[in-house]
Amino acid sequence: MHRRQFIALGAAFMATPTLLRAEDAFRMRDFYEKDQSFTPLAKELQDERISVNGYMAPPLKADSTFFVLTKRPMAVCPFCETEAEWPDDIMAVYTQRVFRVVPFNRRITVTGVLSLGGYKDPETGFVSRVRLEKSTFELV
Amino acid sequence: MKPSILALAATMVATAATAQEIPQANNEWFTAAQDRIQQEIAKQPITNRAKNVIILIADGNGVGTNYATRLFAGQQAGGYGDEFVGPHEKFPYLALVKTYNTNAQTPDSAGTGTAMMAGVKTKAGVLGVNANAVRGDCSTVAGNELASISDILAAEGKSVGIISTARITHATPASAYSNSADRNWEGSVPEGCTQQTDIAQQLVAKMKDGTVDLAMGGGRRFFVSEGAQTDEGGKGRRKDGKDLIAELKGAGVQYAWNDETAGKLELSGKPILGLFEDSHMKYEADRADEPSLAQMTEMAIKSLSNNQNGFFLQIEAGRVDHANHAGNLARTVRDGIAFQEAIAIADELTNDEDTLIVVTADHEHAIAFNGYCGRGSDILGLCMDISNDKTENTGEPLLADDGKPYTVAGFLNGAGSVLTKQADGNYYGGRPEVTQEQAVDLEYLQQALIPKSSETHSGEDVAVYAKGPWAHLLEGTIEQNVIFHVMHHAATAN
Repeated sequence: MHRRQFIALGAAFMATPTLLRAEDAFRMRDFYEKDQSFTPLAKELQDERISVNGYMAPPLKADSTFFVLTKRPMAVCPFCETEAEWPDDIMAVYTQRVFRVVPFNRRITVTGVLSLGGYKDPETGFVSRVRLEKSTFELV
Repeated sequence: MKPSILALAATMVATAATAQEIPQANNEWFTAAQDRIQQEIAKQPITNRAKNVIILIADGNGVGTNYATRLFAGQQAGGYGDEFVGPHEKFPYLALVKTYNTNAQTPDSAGTGTAMMAGVKTKAGVLGVNANAVRGDCSTVAGNELASISDILAAEGKSVGIISTARITHATPASAYSNSADRNWEGSVPEGCTQQTDIAQQLVAKMKDGTVDLAMGGGRRFFVSEGAQTDEGGKGRRKDGKDLIAELKGAGVQYAWNDETAGKLELSGKPILGLFEDSHMKYEADRADEPSLAQMTEMAIKSLSNNQNGFFLQIEAGRVDHANHAGNLARTVRDGIAFQEAIAIADELTNDEDTLIVVTADHEHAIAFNGYCGRGSDILGLCMDISNDKTENTGEPLLADDGKPYTVAGFLNGAGSVLTKQADGNYYGGRPEVTQEQAVDLEYLQQALIPKSSETHSGEDVAVYAKGPWAHLLEGTIEQNVIFHVMHHAATAN
């Protein structure tokens, strides 16, 4: 995608809430096999700009350009667990600019460039295996 | 009237009643119910001592959650769902159970597990200690410890097994072997706490002294030292630097960490530790390279059966609870089916004459069901209208007063709340539109009312189903700690 198209698309996503249809977006399970290896589709889409449905886990840091996308709202049971448990099948999302936090149980569609392989975030130390980079998102 | 005339009159009334033609007598519902009556009349309690005792607990599987799994299982089998009968629902004896903890109207799994394993109710959050203990206060453990049914039956010469799809150090399995002022002390105790060790160490101590012979579940992280790599590449959490898996291997305990290594275990009675995940085992819907609850049950019964004196086995479907906490009914019911498969294999591998099988839940959740849905409405999906001329629903979703369809099941609170946090910090919103396709998706969260990051337990009754020696003692509405006393009586009766 050319830079101009990319910027225009990003701006549109920020401005109009229903430009992208949620049903056209990928689901997290499209990228992971049950053994947590990548699906053929994930490998095929690597470095492509794609859209994925999910939920924004409460960000680790304020005023950030990074959040974790979960396939279900990240429910934490303080009675059952001493600490939050990250599920295996998540995506790290790096946004183009500092974003406004969305409630953890509000469905969103994120559009970004798919990146596969281990990466440790230098600021938070968060280790990810799948990322969407240069991302924007919209409420569904 | 003389007695003989009275008797004659009674006979005449009875004869007249049986001779009367009842027009619906050939209706299939009528004849099925007549068959049921005959089964009830023929039912005979078994009153010899139980050689083996098995308790299967689906965590959070109250009457409502069990209903959801029943419909899902029946619908998966191609039926409407309601008519499905789970393996435990064929058991001859049933009671309703009051699950509250001594200080909690809404119970937690530590207090409920202790009630079932030790025969006395106690506080929420504590394990194997009575209600004099204070949660989180290590100094209150001494003098308040309780003996669990597994301790007692091990002393009688029986083998003991504990299985869970949650961490093996989590509340329900831990209630069978530990005494702890806090359920969260799975891999460490607070500094200065000398009256108890952490829960993982308590399990290891019992495996070393032969009072627990088999333990299978998740929770590897609390058996491996902090920072050290676990079998699947994760990290251990033990701050004391101990490698409890190595300790047990050194003591002659067999160890497995995935389905392949589990397949190589000797089921000869030689002790077994199976730790199949660093934390909880996978939901059944996501399971890949680890054994199912039914497979673990089969391995356990085959191994423990080598003891001529019999065995005690606690089996927990731990993740029914977790999926409910997530508000994700699609995973709840799939783990519910995995639980039913474990019940079926436990029943198949044992004999009613010498094995008491108890099936129950520790507590219910804030799950509820909408109406008025027609037959065959997908239990995960939308509530479809009742047909006036057909058995099956019309295929048309019923609409609420807001003009939107709604699902059969919902939660009173949780992450699926229709009220979401807004930019001004307040919670408000409306019910999202939901299609059938969205509702039956594996990741869907049923709509809830009260916003909470995790859906809660509820204090509603659960059922207990039983078969085998002294199973008939489970009837009526009982306190949860009575379950221990039935198991204890069955295993020690003369």
